[in-house]
Amino acid sequence: MSNLQIFVILSGVVMTVLIAWYFWFAPKAQTRVAVSASGAQEVAITVKGGYTPDVIIVQKGRSVRLTFTRQESSACSEKVLFPDFNQNALLPEGEQVTLEFTPEKSGEFGFQCQMGMLRGKLIVEEG
Amino acid sequence: MKVHDPVCGMEIEPQSAFAKREHMGQTFYFCSQSCVDQFDKDPHRYVMTSATTGFNPKMTLARIELPVSGLPLKEHSTRLESALRALDGVSEVKVNATANRLEVQYDAQKVDVAKLVGAVKSIGFQVGGTSVKIGIENLRCASCVKFIEDELKSTQGVLAATVNIATQEATVDYLPQKTTLSQLNAAIETWGYKPRPATSDAPVDKQEEAHANEYRKLMNKFWFAAAISVFVMVTAYYQFVPFLRDLNMDSLRLLWGVTALLTLPVMFWSGSDFFTGAWAAFKHRSANMNTLIALGTGAAWLYSTFAILFPSVFPEGTSEPFYDVVAVVIALVVLGQALELRAKGQSSSAIKKLLGLQAKTARVIRDGKEMDLPVEEVLVGDVIQVRPGEKVPVDGVIVEGSSAVDESMLTGESMPASKKMGDEVIGATINKTGAFKFRTTKVGKDTALAQIVKMVQDAQNSKAPIARLADIVSGYFVPVVMILAVWTFVIWFVIGPQPQFVYALVTSVTVLIIACPCALGLATPMSLMVGIGKGAENGILIRSGEALQTARAIQIVVLDKTGTITKGKPELTDTVTSEQSSVDSDQLLRLAASVEKVSEHPLAQAIVEGAQARKLELAEVKDFEAIPGHGVSAKVEGKNILIGNLKLMNREKIVLGSLEEKSKSLADDGKTPMFIALDGRAAGIIAVADTVKEDSAEAILALQNMGIEVVMITGDNRRTAEAIARKVGVTRVLAEVLPEDKANEVKKLQIENRKSKIQNVVAMVGDGINDAPALAQADVGLAIGTGTDVAIEASDITLIKGSLKGVVTAIEVSRATMNNIYQNLVGAFFYNVLGIPVAMGLLFPFFGLLLSPMIAGAAMAFSSVTVVANANRLRGFKPKFSAK
Repeated sequence: MSNLQIFVILSGVVMTVLIAWYFWFAPKAQTRVAVSASGAQEVAITVKGGYTPDVIIVQKGRSVRLTFTRQESSACSEKVLFPDFNQNALLPEGEQVTLEFTPEKSGEFGFQCQMGMLRGKLIVEEG
Repeated sequence: MKVHDPVCGMEIEPQSAFAKREHMGQTFYFCSQSCVDQFDKDPHRYVMTSATTGFNPKMTLARIELPVSGLPLKEHSTRLESALRALDGVSEVKVNATANRLEVQYDAQKVDVAKLVGAVKSIGFQVGGTSVKIGIENLRCASCVKFIEDELKSTQGVLAATVNIATQEATVDYLPQKTTLSQLNAAIETWGYKPRPATSDAPVDKQEEAHANEYRKLMNKFWFAAAISVFVMVTAYYQFVPFLRDLNMDSLRLLWGVTALLTLPVMFWSGSDFFTGAWAAFKHRSANMNTLIALGTGAAWLYSTFAILFPSVFPEGTSEPFYDVVAVVIALVVLGQALELRAKGQSSSAIKKLLGLQAKTARVIRDGKEMDLPVEEVLVGDVIQVRPGEKVPVDGVIVEGSSAVDESMLTGESMPASKKMGDEVIGATINKTGAFKFRTTKVGKDTALAQIVKMVQDAQNSKAPIARLADIVSGYFVPVVMILAVWTFVIWFVIGPQPQFVYALVTSVTVLIIACPCALGLATPMSLMVGIGKGAENGILIRSGEALQTARAIQIVVLDKTGTITKGKPELTDTVTSEQSSVDSDQLLRLAASVEKVSEHPLAQAIVEGAQARKLELAEVKDFEAIPGHGVSAKVEGKNILIGNLKLMNREKIVLGSLEEKSKSLADDGKTPMFIALDGRAAGIIAVADTVKEDSAEAILALQNMGIEVVMITGDNRRTAEAIARKVGVTRVLAEVLPEDKANEVKKLQIENRKSKIQNVVAMVGDGINDAPALAQADVGLAIGTGTDVAIEASDITLIKGSLKGVVTAIEVSRATMNNIYQNLVGAFFYNVLGIPVAMGLLFPFFGLLLSPMIAGAAMAFSSVTVVANANRLRGFKPKFSAK
């Protein structure tokens, strides 16, 4: 086995570890939502190839107001769904669309576009 | 000092006014006779103003009527009154709770309408105005915004108006009974602008427009990529091209250099979404289809460029580029996206169809005048005229006339329903034969149609539990594919044939490109959307994907007896005369009905209706007396008549003879017999019963043929229950169940151990009111609605049409949709499970077979198109009991 072959095998191992770490094991940035003057937990989310921010921490039993702005025309992201809260909204390009609901259960709940290409997570904590 | 004519609004000098009137402490000036005449007809109308600015600046005391909604007005009226009185300038507040109206007298100089509305809202009420968006063409100057706003605000009936120069739209809150859309348009026109329908008003149209734009954009990108691809292909297969094959290596490399540059715009324009999407996903520590395409094509381009720049690095004959892969793959995937978008548009056609049912205008009668108004301006309480052939614009109750109304678009019921005074009509249904007037009860988003649309839309976007598996898989899918690509490269490089580097790169690029997470992600939502839409077309409203999925596996259907299997209303079934009777059966019924007409007993109604159906004329009744627990006695046409149960006959010592036997057999049939005695002698029996709906037996048979056990549940006595059960072919009867125990019985059926330990999937069908706990307890609760009552909360599925056939159709829709979802999921799964190993070159050692990256690109592009196309096949679904 030549040195080059050994190098390629080792690179393969390193790449595998890197991919697994980066996509699965590395801690993700989380956004804790502040409570606004109106008493609602407000957060603005940009939709462009993904949701920014995509991991959102809120408190249970308090109204959550998510304002989405879609900045792309790709039809993939034209809808955002919160299947666990039976909430969904159409996001016309460039328009601010607000979804408001009160999470009455705690836990981690995914939100996503209709076909699941873009994903985010809503973490509801006990208040 | 100039004043406004309150009728026409013209500015006039008070001293040169044509006439002057005093009304409620205010002075009005008029420009002409016709204005005075109009004012005199109804002076109050001009005193009551809702506009705040400018209309009549001299007017100090103003009155306004505000329609309010929200909280129950009766309970909160005092709070509302005190809140309004607390405002400085409000002199009088009258709350009309029955009409949901509020009359306020106020000082226009101290307080304005906006403040009044604010006070009303602060207590939790809504001011029942309408909000409308009007587009304004070519609105350019920012200063005109204020002029138009002021003009709109000074229009009678306008509560608030804002003009947005960015969207070129005015948003106007107004009281539709005070002004009309055309008046608002006129206000905009006075400033020289042309109003047009607002673009942001119809979300569905807008989405369609966005789709059309996106489709055009994708097709442009495709054609560009395709054109470049042709050129790139020619240079890639130069060996087969007459002129090119004679070129030497250096010229070829130069030619490839040109293709390298040409593929750049393909990547960064046609394929820009892949690269930006991949980068955005990468930043979020996630990966998706974009990542795979970007990596695959990017690697191919980088290798090719490197190979033509530094050919000496590579072994002889391996320094050829494959720009063709880059261009062709991008072209194909973009084409796939465009086709997918087009197919998606068809999937949502159910909603479009539903929205298309909505009438555009309504002929409203206000102040005795008929006027055509846009349907958005119709108010609750308006009287609307509907002529034959016209659509009923909103929901309401008929106040005059009668007709047959075709409700098939909402209920799937093909026979027109006959409607008379007091009957409910639903918006979007079509009036067939007669003209009628109806009073509106629900408008706008409260109408049955609007609720149906909302419910269907929500359900279409909900999630079937089965999709969660696909979600979990796709969460790991892309990184796994990336790892597989890495190891494909490593293995080909280490143990593959010469030239290793090229083989390794091509196979790993193919792996990246052939993997299609989209097909997995699309599999469930697309079918769900079509399936739930299909249900709606057949009068079945499925609440969520979960309900749809559970309905497929239903093993036991529990049917409530009253109102579900039966009509829920007693009807006359038998008249029996005794041998010694002096009257025939018609005569007997006529006399009995005459007496019962006075009675208030629910069974009495059935007898009266039975007599009316036979066109019998009822007689005068004297000395009517109700004997509690026994029956009634009265005098009709000189005869003493007794109607009642056995107890009554025994008390009055009437010899019944064979009638007693007869009554027992009637009772065995589930009927309620009533004895009739004339002048102390038994004359006969009249029996009434809650009769079975015409199609119940057929529907129950169909359910049984589907392998589903049908159980009847009722609070009625066993004898009646079993009689009905026999008629419709149900063998298992749960009788004498108290309403609160129904849920318990359902639970028992769920855990009833048949063969396995798994719970039975039990569906409960009921009319939604006293069955609510049982509906909630059941795995699937089906509520039988009666047309307008669609918002039945406790149910998972609502059958708009009151027929049990809907249960069959609901299960059929569920089975067809779930089969479609399985096909999609299995197809998408096998595509990837088979495609990826082939792309890795698993077949190469045995057959020498390798997949070209371009074939992989085509396969990937069309796998997601196939999923959408398969979901669209569901649109051809036909229920067994067709609506037509």
